[in-house]
Amino acid sequence: MIARLLGVKFLTLKGSLRSTEESRHRVPAFTVLSAIFWVMLYRSSYVVVTEALQIQPIGELLVQKLLSITFLVFLGLLMFSNIVTVFSTFYLADELEFLMTKPIPKDSLFAARFIEALTQSSWVVFLFGAPIFFAAGAGINAPVEYYFVLIAILVPFVMIPTAIASIVALFITNILAANRTRDAMLFMGVAAFAILFVVIRSVRPERLLNPESFESIGEMLRLLSAPTSVWLPSDWCMDIVVPLLYQRSSIDEFSLALLITTPLALYFIAAWLHRPLYHRGFSKAQEGRHGQSLITLMRDWAMQRTTTARQSLDDRLAKLAAQPERRVSTMRELVRKDQRIFLRDASQWSQILIVLAIMVIYLVNYKYFEIAADERLLGDVGLYFFNLAACGFVVVALNGRFVFPTVSIEGRSFWLVLQAPISLERFLVGKWLGGVMPVLIVGQLLILISNLLVLQNPVFVGLASLIVLMITFGVSGLAVGVGAIYPQFHNPNAAKIASSFGAVIYMILGMFVVLAVLTFSFRFTMYFGEGYAEGFKNHLGIRSYLAFLFALLTPLIVGWIAIKLGAASLRKRM
Amino acid sequence: MTSPHEGSIVSLSALTKHYGAFTAVDGIDLEVPYGQVYGVLGPNGAGKTTTLRMITGLLQPSGGEITIDGHSLARSPIAAKSVVGFIPDRPYVYDKLTAYEYLSFIGGLYQMSRARVARRIRELLDLFELAEWADSLIESFSHGMKQRLVFSGALLPEPKLLVVDEPMVGLDPKGHRLIKTLFRTLTERDKMTILLSTHTLEVAEEVCDCIAIINHGRIIARGTLDELRFESGEDSGSLEEVFLRLTEETRSERAEAVADRFGRTGPTHFEATVTDADDGDEQHPGDAA
Repeated sequence: MIARLLGVKFLTLKGSLRSTEESRHRVPAFTVLSAIFWVMLYRSSYVVVTEALQIQPIGELLVQKLLSITFLVFLGLLMFSNIVTVFSTFYLADELEFLMTKPIPKDSLFAARFIEALTQSSWVVFLFGAPIFFAAGAGINAPVEYYFVLIAILVPFVMIPTAIASIVALFITNILAANRTRDAMLFMGVAAFAILFVVIRSVRPERLLNPESFESIGEMLRLLSAPTSVWLPSDWCMDIVVPLLYQRSSIDEFSLALLITTPLALYFIAAWLHRPLYHRGFSKAQEGRHGQSLITLMRDWAMQRTTTARQSLDDRLAKLAAQPERRVSTMRELVRKDQRIFLRDASQWSQILIVLAIMVIYLVNYKYFEIAADERLLGDVGLYFFNLAACGFVVVALNGRFVFPTVSIEGRSFWLVLQAPISLERFLVGKWLGGVMPVLIVGQLLILISNLLVLQNPVFVGLASLIVLMITFGVSGLAVGVGAIYPQFHNPNAAKIASSFGAVIYMILGMFVVLAVLTFSFRFTMYFGEGYAEGFKNHLGIRSYLAFLFALLTPLIVGWIAIKLGAASLRKRM
Repeated sequence: MTSPHEGSIVSLSALTKHYGAFTAVDGIDLEVPYGQVYGVLGPNGAGKTTTLRMITGLLQPSGGEITIDGHSLARSPIAAKSVVGFIPDRPYVYDKLTAYEYLSFIGGLYQMSRARVARRIRELLDLFELAEWADSLIESFSHGMKQRLVFSGALLPEPKLLVVDEPMVGLDPKGHRLIKTLFRTLTERDKMTILLSTHTLEVAEEVCDCIAIINHGRIIARGTLDELRFESGEDSGSLEEVFLRLTEETRSERAEAVADRFGRTGPTHFEATVTDADDGDEQHPGDAA
């Protein structure tokens, strides 16, 4: 039965891959992009590992700590993505209405849903975590067993968050009033994020950048060798791979036992709990909205604020009629429609909390890097580029979460746009205009506040804002365009759309754009930034000016091309 | 370019639509005269919805030409679409908008003047008895109310051509009466042309001036009800009898037609694919509607 339930999913995937013309290019495009990204990630991780090993006497411990942080970050990301995925796979998926009417054994349904959630939320970790760990192995010259064991331990490692998330979701759907589960999902996501933040702050990774900030070598060794927490599966993984990595001692058998038995125990507990409680939770998740939770009240307030017209219908119509010559603006209506829908969709609207969380975490963490800047380890230039790259990444991620799904979210209402006398290019530009402003505001706030907190050089501050501005404009266009190339019109869940196949392709492309902008603007920025601080010594060649211009225009060109391709792709799908 | 009110508002020439090897619409030629209610009938999977979706620009034809009010849909899609209003069988609209916002949005899509939008919103909200719900979210509407709102949206820009796919789905008897009266008013008073597909033969019999019957992606008969009666040999029969007579076929004729539509790969996938083609389960944006 489990194989049958999963087999249907596999057939659906296979069917969707062959259903349209574009899909023929989807797999090759994804493979090529992933391969390039994979190689770049591997190369940069390899450089970090080999460079870190040079720092004596702490090199090996430093690599170990960086790997530990990587495991920890993956654990946090897995918790976050599993909570979103488990809610939708176990309680909100469309096909559940069909499946629940069929005589499927409870344990089989649980197992099939569990494997589906596990696969959906964890494949990215396998794909993009592997190069980092492989690079560590290659940099340290680890034996071949290291690689096999690494892959083997990733399976129980990714299982733990799925099992925990399924138990949490089960309790939430049983305890909370119906349909507040979506709110709970958000809160749980933010909570997981907050826990990760606290754990990372307790590690204080910025200190690793500046060994001089430790009072003694002893203190540094103590920090580096101390485990993050014996309760964290990421540390159990470390206890298993580190001895293999350095070929020094044997694997910590207790950690191995914990890593294998914990997910199994959690799985069986979850399955056992699902027998009596799942149906109740599922049923409640399908009911209408009741209750007075804080977020429900806030949502109702937002809904009322945005739907209650300030004037009566007659007054509004009279006001419209008073300007007989003026036409109703297509763009304005497209943007307003998207804004209204976003504001009234609680699952979307409440995501603003996540943006706030990202901003706070970013700024608080960034402030810590000031320590490194003071010590002249990174310096203004290093901080400038680090901040620009990080902010660029946040802009790419925000566009991925909020702008990428906007075409898909049209869903079954898209016929209205298709039959209207408006070109698909104009429609996509409308999507871009609606999405770019919020991301622009967040991006500019981040880059300005973080730079003003740390940088002394106004030229760097100004250039960074200009570059982030251009990245935002371009990457928003890219998100709209790629979102139109890989639409999911039948998927009503924006969070799921934002973690789909096409979204990963968009994320990789977006990061390439950020990287290209940083590379091409490097010489120009250095010349004017350092020239301002230390005086201009020689002239900058015309090629550097052109490179900077190219850096500024690249995102716009990429965004424009993406929108054109997106419109062409939508047309081809018709 | 044909001058208005002479000749045909819709002209289809060798219109074809393939989904892979499957032929959903197979070289249809059709002329829809101005000012008529023109019905398209046919059994499930015949290609009616696909044809209407191509006429409204939701699907791109694999071959052939569509001309609307003298504008080629392929070469001047904006001009062609600006005279068409469309009502799909399932009223999927933006649930998080209010009825008033939805209608204003349509006014924006058609770039109507503000005064005209105001006048039309008032008229249509009154006509479809939605005025008191103008500021309610569409998600709170019943199926019938949504259908009435979709009618309002399609009629807002005062299109020359109204394309309607299964107009009676989800409407109560009062709604049926309203729509039938409306169709007559729109054609007689406003000189609008209505192209509709329906399974409800009683509606077709009552409101259509002319009917085309589609089967296996081809038009097998066309004309007034009297002409169809004559063609079918059911001289005094109802439209239902005429329809059944015209579309009846032996098992081997059916197998032959199905094999044809599948590019002679055999009829084994018939049931699934025929349903896909007409019910809109293909993965393209038109069908997302």
